This record gives sequence, structure tokens and C-alpha cells, in this order.
Amino acid sequence: MAAPLPDVTLLGALPPLPSLVNARRLRAQRLGRGLRLWVPAGILILMLAMCFVLPLVASLPSPTKGDIIVNNEPPFSPGHWLGTDMQGVDIFSKLVYGGQVAFEIGAAVTAIGVAIGGTLGIVAGYFGGWVDAVISRVLDILIAFPALVLALVIAQGLGGSEIHVIWALSVFGIPAVGRVTRGATLTIRGLPFMVAAKLSGTRGWRIIARHVVPNIIPTIVTFSLLGVGIVIILEGALDFLGYGIPPPTASWGNMISNGQQILSAQPEYVLIPSIALLVTVASLNMLGDALRERWSTQ
Amino acid sequence: MTDALLQVDDLRVTFAVGGREVRAVDGITFTVSPGATLAIIGESGSGKTVSCRAIMGLLPTGTAIGGSARLRGTELLGLSDAELRRHRGSDLAMVFQDPARSLNPTMRVGLQITEAITTHRTASKREAQAQAIELLRLVRIPAAERRFHEYPHQLSGGMRQRVMIAMALACRPKLLIADEATTALDVTTQAQIMELLLELQEELDMALIMISHDLGLAASYADEVIVMYAGKIVEQAPAAGLFGAGGAVRMRYTRALLDAIPHLERPAHTLLPVVGGRPPDPTALPPGCSFAPRCQYAEDDCRAKVPALAEHVPGHRWACWHPCENGAAPHD
Amino acid sequence: MTDQAGPGRPPGEVLLSVRDLVQEFIVRERGGGKAGVVQAVSGVSFDVMAGETLGIVGETGSGKSTLARAILQAPRPKSGSVVFRGTELTNLRGGRLLQARRHLQFVFQDPFGSLDPKWKVRSIVDEPLLAYRAGGREARRKRVSELLDLVGLDPARYAGRHPRELSGGQAQRVAIARAVALEPSLIICDEAVSSLDVLIQAQVLNLFEKLRGELGLSYLFIAHDLALVKQVSDRVAVMYLGKLCEVGHGEAVYRRPLHPYTKALLDSIPSTEPGAGRATATIKGEPPSPINPPSGCRFRTRCPLATDLCAAEEPLPRELAPGHVVACHFPLMPGTSVITPAATSGVRQA
Repeated sequence: MAAPLPDVTLLGALPPLPSLVNARRLRAQRLGRGLRLWVPAGILILMLAMCFVLPLVASLPSPTKGDIIVNNEPPFSPGHWLGTDMQGVDIFSKLVYGGQVAFEIGAAVTAIGVAIGGTLGIVAGYFGGWVDAVISRVLDILIAFPALVLALVIAQGLGGSEIHVIWALSVFGIPAVGRVTRGATLTIRGLPFMVAAKLSGTRGWRIIARHVVPNIIPTIVTFSLLGVGIVIILEGALDFLGYGIPPPTASWGNMISNGQQILSAQPEYVLIPSIALLVTVASLNMLGDALRERWSTQ
Repeated sequence: MTDALLQVDDLRVTFAVGGREVRAVDGITFTVSPGATLAIIGESGSGKTVSCRAIMGLLPTGTAIGGSARLRGTELLGLSDAELRRHRGSDLAMVFQDPARSLNPTMRVGLQITEAITTHRTASKREAQAQAIELLRLVRIPAAERRFHEYPHQLSGGMRQRVMIAMALACRPKLLIADEATTALDVTTQAQIMELLLELQEELDMALIMISHDLGLAASYADEVIVMYAGKIVEQAPAAGLFGAGGAVRMRYTRALLDAIPHLERPAHTLLPVVGGRPPDPTALPPGCSFAPRCQYAEDDCRAKVPALAEHVPGHRWACWHPCENGAAPHD
Repeated sequence: MTDQAGPGRPPGEVLLSVRDLVQEFIVRERGGGKAGVVQAVSGVSFDVMAGETLGIVGETGSGKSTLARAILQAPRPKSGSVVFRGTELTNLRGGRLLQARRHLQFVFQDPFGSLDPKWKVRSIVDEPLLAYRAGGREARRKRVSELLDLVGLDPARYAGRHPRELSGGQAQRVAIARAVALEPSLIICDEAVSSLDVLIQAQVLNLFEKLRGELGLSYLFIAHDLALVKQVSDRVAVMYLGKLCEVGHGEAVYRRPLHPYTKALLDSIPSTEPGAGRATATIKGEPPSPINPPSGCRFRTRCPLATDLCAAEEPLPRELAPGHVVACHFPLMPGTSVITPAATSGVRQA
């Protein structure tokens, strides 16, 4: 036997073998994966705590009524660390209570989407045939409905309120979740273990509850996180256009809309809620991606 | 041995998985003579595929490869990508198991073969196309001109594998490695493809390494057989007379493998002589013979020391402390 | 039951009786238009006796898996009859079909695919017990342990695992435990050991044999590997392009194949037996598409013995030897020269 040559590393990999990497790279990968999950999750936890816990434990100034004497205070003023607006309302309070509105609407619309759209999607995907045809057409019609125009109509007709915004945006949320759920269910339905379950004697609804739902939950959760982000942006857009949450109720969209009038003089009025919106939505997207990655490699 | 086409010496391949070292190939040595047919057989995870991919330079970056693999004296291990590419195709070529996934579904097969030709040598488009059609004829594809313009999905599994072989043969390699090339095919198609390979081998004076889990295939088509278990060669012998009742198999694992195959001579409903357990965890190989934990003939020395692969009979190497007697193993 | 019954039926109680079973699928084009009808199973008839194993051999596209699913009514066949233990399955629905199918179980090819990745081994084996309300929680728990023991898995180690924590052989054992949970009389095995390594495959085959003895099971054992099928079967049926071309005792089919296709299949099998000689490709080409199968005998396009008669007229099953049925106009009788020697020329001898 010839003396072994020094170990060498070959480059180039055509058809990949099962992922085989060296230890250091594996550790780095694992760390990167952990960070991709926990950084956005941590940011979201902080945002949620700021919006929902902080008002309970600290006495924040009112987000709607201000003292006109201390209006247009710059950030880092005493008592108003993000400053005040033209009416002298504390901007941090507006950010916190506006955040509540954003998260509430995002969560409510997604919950309605998952409850109604998810159920329709599973039923359509699992039973197929004419059931699928009917449900799919209904979802198609809903998704073709311009949500913003509908919201506009609702606001005109019924007056703007949080509940009305939720209904209007659900018209967009229900078919979106429904489509995704139907697709995931169709994929699952074709797998051998579903045939096995049926042949083992398990009946329709029990198969849905015990086989279909657990297997599509990862898809629904990741999609819902993305959905919350989209809904928050849409809500902001409605507010911005003046058809969402009516002022003086604080909302991020209203803040951006109002701040826009004095954008050149005091850009922070627009910047602060915009950054909050951006960070929230980006974190939701990143968390969704990280969860999907984690579940798909399991 | 000096005129060997491929000389592999103490080839080692190690991966790190989850911080643990996996010795996928654990020091294997063999030679392939020009024009010979060598079968490397083993179960999944035995290292048969990994060792050939190491020789082809097809393992992922970060894999530690040691030892030597010389093709007509030229060391293949440690070559740069560009140098390897020069060897692949013209000296070495490989055919994989899954012809459906090895072909690009969006490209006509003729174009794929033409590309395989032009990546290895300069040829005008017309020349390359003419050669591609010639290659399709070479692999006995009827109506080659028509097939040239078809997409992979329009071909059957056997036809696709013929196209893969045509691509592998584009530069008339001296050595063709067929990695489970007929496993996905039906038995009648398999026989056709194997016959084709052997005919082409003769025509082109090419050596063939067939990697397979199928002992029958090895017995039927190869000159020489290598049996791998847990990253090591455990037995190597000429195929003729190795298997079957009264065969020369000496290593206990080969015997177990052979006995476990249902074959047509065996009466129905008889229990197959089997060994229990599973192949060892490649991150924690036993100290002695890798097969000892499953071997009913294992004794203390088997569990203590690794048996060396030695040429006990001219042309027949095995690694076993207590080998089967020649042909004496029970075989109903 | 019709009189064109059971090819080569041994005496005994008929467990499963399949008559003129037809299953078709519509293939759609990209746009949704009908591109053709796959005639996957075209009039298949056979019987399985109590305690008997019937093997069905066929290549890709022969329709053997479709046949298995059609017998299980998943999906329901297009036409024909499936009588299991005296009950016609094809017109039963819902709960009555479930009850009728209770003693008809299955093991599929892909051991991992047929186990829900989210479930633990314990729940997987319990699923049929729960569905058929076979005892209370405690009784079922005991039964699951017994079943895991029976298939050679230590309940303490494996009951709490997920499928991804099992090897292929172990996963297939779990699928087998689930199949025998309700003490079935017939198990349909569709390529049940094909994806396993040789030594593990032998372990699982022996497990099938053991269960056959201990539980008095019958099997319908479907696979592409003739040697494998013969190993476990009393009788063997050869399937080609949706039809059975030969049925008989395993030994007879192997020693004296009557159908040219069976002969070609046997010739193609590479064997480790020194006397067996080199496997040879005695038929050319590949099976035609089941969308437009050939007229008459479906094998005629590849058959070296085919004549105009084979194209014009479909050969009917004939019992040429006791229990040995063939559907061929020109069956290979013992002593007949079989296949043109030209087919094997040009092959280098080993």
C-alpha cells in the first residue's frame, strides 16, 4: 500500500450527496440559523411588550390629547423622549397606541383568514370535486375584489372604525389563506400515509383533524406571519388615505399621513412611525422565513 | 499491475456530520485494468458510491479525501476543477441511477449531447450535431435523427438512460463508472442496457466500473467483484466461480448477502438465512471487524482486531479471521 | 361467481375473488383537455384462497399497483367485481365498506411515505384499533406493545419514536404491525420490500413468513422481482400492460413458462447461480403506452412469436396444465424452441 498522500480537498460538486460539511462550518450554520430565528422573534417580543405591556405598567401621556403649549417639541425633550406633535400630543404614546391598533388589526384579520379561509381551503383540498370547484370560485371572486376600494366603500357607508377595517381587510385575508391552505392540503392528500389512514378505517373528519391539520400547520403559521405583516401595511395605507382608523385615534398610518404635511420641517414625524412599521413587518417576514426553513429541514 | 488503467491506493473519505467524523471510505485499494469490468457491490452506506465520486472529484467541498487514485499514472485526487474537467469526459465518465433527474427537462436531448461534446473539445455546431446523432446511433436508439429533437419526457426510462450513456461516451472515455445505472429500470430493460454497456465496452476498449447493490448483476456481467461493507473492501475476487452453490466466497458478509437474496432455485416459503442487526454507525465503528457484531461466526479476535484484506489465493482477497470453507457454506 | 373463474384454483375456501376488474385514468393536457385514457387494469380476474399467497409480477406500467389500490377500493375500480370473504366491495360505501375491509389490510412500498411524519409509532399502530374501536385505551395500549413485539421492535424503545427516527426496515415493520393489528385474513403487499437493502429485505421477508404461519394470513404479494415473488408465493401471476398473461404454481411458472413474456422476464434476471448463465435481453424495446395499448394480445409488439392472429384476436386464458393458465395464442410448450437466437448474438460471454 502506498503511503497516504496528505489530505486534500476537492472542489466542485455536481449531483449533491446528502449535505455533508465539516464541523466548523456546521457550527457556524447552526449559529446563523439560530440568529435568523431569534433576532426577529426577539424584536417582535419587544415590540409587543412595548405596545401592550408598557401602557399597563407605566403611565404614558394620552395619545390623543396634548398640551398645545408643549407642541412641536423635538425628540429627547424632558417628559417626551420622542417629542410631541403639532397639538402637543406625546409621539411615543401615539407610537405605542398606534402599534396596538396595528397588531390588533393584523392579528384579527389573520385569525379570521385562518379560521374561515383555512377551513374552506382544507375542505376544498380534501374533498375535491364539486366542493373544491365551488369554494375555489368563491375564493377567486374574493381575491379579485380590490380590498382597498372595498374598505373605502365601507368607510364611506358605515364610517371608519377598527372593526370596519378588519372586515374590509378580511376580504383580502380569507381567500389568501384559503388558497394557501387548499394547496397544502392537496399536497398532503396525495401522500401514501393519507391512503394508509383511510384504509386503516379512520374517517373523513378525523383524518382532517389528526393527519391533515398537523401536517399543514407549519405552512399556515409561516404564511400567517407574512400575512400579519401585509395586513399591517394595508392598514397603514388605509389610514394614510383617510379611510382607516379615524383620527384622533392614534395609528401608524395616521401618524405618517399627518407628518407628511410638515415633512421637510420635521421629518421625524414621518420617520418614527415608518421605522416602527418597517421593523415590525421585516421581523414578521424574517421570522416566517426562519420557521419555514427550520420546519422544512426537519 | 503496472499497466493498470486506474490504480486506487488507500483511498479515504471522511465527512463531518454534526461534529462527528464519518469515515465513509476507510482505506480502499484496487486496480482496474484497461477494458476490464469491475463490479463494486454493497448495501446503502457501504461507501461504494462515495469512493467512486471521490475518484470523479464529485464530492462536496469540505470533504477530507486521502490516499491516491491514479489514472494511467496521473494523480486525480487534489486536481483543480479545471484540470479535473479535462479528465472527466475524455478519460473518465459516469452514468447515474436516475436518468430522469440527470437530464435537463427543458432542453432537447440532442442539444444536451451536443453540449457535452463541445464542453470537452472544440467542434463546429454542425460537427457536434453530427457526432451527437452518431452517439445516439451508437447507443442503439432507433430513429436517432428524430430523437435528437425530442425532450427527455418524451423518452422512456430505458431511452433516457441510453441518452445518458451517449453523453458519457461523447469523448470516448477510457473508464466508465455506472453508479446503479440500471437500478431504476425494469428487469427486461436492465438486461438491454447491460448488454449495450458490454458491447460498447468492447467496441470502444473501455473499462467499466459498475456500482450496484445487486449481486446477481455483478455475477452476471462483471469480470471481477469487490464487496464493500462499512467503508472497507471485505472481499475481492474474479466473478466467475465466486457465487452460487460451491462458489468460492470466503468472507462471511458476502456469504450472508448471497444467502439473503431470494432466487428462483429456492423453494417457496423457506425462511431466508439472515443476519440480524444493521450496518454499524459510521461515526462509531466497532474496534474489530465491522461485521463482527452481526456475524454468527464471530469470536473474540474478530471483535478485537480488524482483519486485513490480504490476497490469500492468487486473485482472491478477503478480510476475515474465520472465513467460510470453500463452497462448504450451507446453501439450500 | 362466473364460471370463467379462478385460473388454476386450488381447492379450499376462496378468500378474495376478483373478476373482470377494470381501472382507467383520464390523462389531462396542460390546459385541462382530455389527452387520453390510461387503461391501467383491463379485465383482470383471479382468486386468492384462504392461507394462500398469490404473487403478482409486473414491470413498471403493468398496472400492478393500480390493481392493488382498486381491490382496496382506493380509488374504486371503474368496473368489475371484488368479493372479499363473500362480500362484494365495489358497491359498498361508508361504514359498510369499512367493516367489510376490516380484514383486508395492506403494506405499501415506501415505508416512510406511508407513515404520518407527525405521529409517533405508538399512535400509528393504534390507528386501526382506534378506528374500529377495538377495545379501551388500556387494552389497545397492550395490543400495540404486543404488535410491536410481534414484528420484532422493542416497544419500550420504539413506541415513542417518530418515523424519521427509524431506519427503512424498522419503518416497514411499523407498517406491518399496523397491517396485522386487526387480525386481517389478507394483506396486500405492494412492493413492500423493494426499497430495502438485501439483508434487511430478507429479515422483512422472513417476518412475512413468520406472520403467515402464526396468524394464518394470506398475502397478495405484488412486486417487480420475479425471484422475490416466487420466494413467498404459492401461485404466481404475471401481469403485462394491464392484463394477466400467465397464472400458475410458482415452481411451474418458473420451470415451464408458457407465455413468451414470462420467459423473457426469466431470461432477463441476472442470477448468482453459476448454472443460470448470463442474463440476456431476449425481448427488444420497452412496453408500449397504456394509453393506446396494442390490439389483440398486448405483448405482441415485442413478442418474437407474434403473428397476424395476435393483432387481430385477444388470446383468452386457457388452462394448459392443471392449475397453469396462460393467455397466449402460441404458448411455449415444453421442448419448443423458444426465442430467436439472434436476440442474444453480439453479446460477449463472461
